[in-house]
Amino acid sequence: MITAERKPMAEIRAMLAPYRKILVVGCGSCVAECASGGEKEVGLLASALRMDAKIEGRTIEVREMTIDRQCVYEFIDQLTGIADRYEIILSLGCGAGVQAVAEVFPKMLVIPALNTTFIGETKEPGLWVENCRACGDCKLGYFAAVCPVTRCAKGLFNGPCGGSKNGVCEVDPDSPCAWQLIIERLENAGRSDLLEAIYPPADWSRQQGKGPKKIVREDQRSEG
Amino acid sequence: MDQKTAGLNIAIFFCRQLDANQDKNRRAIEKELGLRIRFFPLPCSGRIELLHLLRAIEAGADVVYLVACPEGACRYREGNLRAKRRIMFAQKLIEEIGLEGARIEMVNKTAEMPADIGAIAMELLARDAKVSISPVRSNAVASFIEK
Repeated sequence: MITAERKPMAEIRAMLAPYRKILVVGCGSCVAECASGGEKEVGLLASALRMDAKIEGRTIEVREMTIDRQCVYEFIDQLTGIADRYEIILSLGCGAGVQAVAEVFPKMLVIPALNTTFIGETKEPGLWVENCRACGDCKLGYFAAVCPVTRCAKGLFNGPCGGSKNGVCEVDPDSPCAWQLIIERLENAGRSDLLEAIYPPADWSRQQGKGPKKIVREDQRSEG
Repeated sequence: MDQKTAGLNIAIFFCRQLDANQDKNRRAIEKELGLRIRFFPLPCSGRIELLHLLRAIEAGADVVYLVACPEGACRYREGNLRAKRRIMFAQKLIEEIGLEGARIEMVNKTAEMPADIGAIAMELLARDAKVSISPVRSNAVASFIEK
C-alpha cells in the first residue's frame, strides 16, 4: 500500500486561494486504507474548506467525489463531464494518482492535498509502517520476508550491526531489529543456512538514475 | 454568561447507554430551545466520526458536545476511549481553520451528574460560554435549522 498524509491546511489554502470552484477527489484504494484520502477524508477536507471560506467571507463551491482508484484511467474517467465544471481539482490521491488525473484532464490544474510518504503496511489501527523501498531488486526470499534495506536503519545486507538491545534497534528504539527478526524467522523455518551466504550490495541502478521506471507486460497490453 | 443566554447553538452527540429513556427525557429541552439544540443518539460514543463533528459545526452549531459513559465503564470496553482520541483530532482540525478547539468537547458522565440526557443538557447549557457565536454560523444558520 502507498501511504500518504494530508498536507497542512495552510499549504492547501495557499494553493487554492485564486479559485472558487473546487472539485475535491478522493481515492478509494491505498490512501483510503491509510485514512488520508478516502471518502471520509474528502468529506473532512471539503467541510474544512467550506468553513474556512465562510470564516473569511468568501464564497466557494466545493464538490466531493471519491473514485475507486486515481491511478487507472477507467476510474478517472468517472470525472469526465464533471471536472470541467470546476476551476481546479484538489486530489487526495497519491502522487501517481494526482499525475494520472492531470494527464486525463490536460486543461485542468490538479493539485495534491497529500504528501505521499512510503510503501507500507497497516500494522494496527492508526499505525502504518514502511516496509518496502521499491528497490527493484527484491531479496526478501533470502531474508525470511524481512527487508533489511527498509527495516534495518543501517540497511545492512550481511548480518546485524551488533548494536541492538533486547531485539530493538539502537537507532530507532520504536523499531524491532530487522536482523533479529531475520535470524529468528530463518531459524524457525530451518533455513539458518541462508545466513552463511554473502550478499552483494543492492543494485540501486534499477531504482535510480534512469528516469521513471516502467513495467511492461505484453499479455496485458492492448492492440496498437 | 451561560451558553443558553449567550444564544449558542448546541449539538449534543451522546451514548444511548447513558439513558434508556433518552427519547422522552430530551423532549422538554428540545421544546424549550427549539432548533438551537440538537441531539444525536449513538449506540456507543465510540461510533462518533470526525465527519459528524465537523459537519455539525459547518451546519451552524457553535458548540458540539459528545456525552459519553465514564472511562472504564463503556459497554463495549473502549468505545469512549476511542471517542476521546477522535475529539482531540477534531479539535486540531478546526483549529487549523482558525476556530477554537473548545467548540468540540467530550464530557464523560460522572456520578454527580443527572441520569437523564435532558438534565445533562441543561447542566451543559448552564456552563459559562467559553466561545461566542461561530463565525461559520452566520452563513449556515439556515442549514442547521433545516436539518
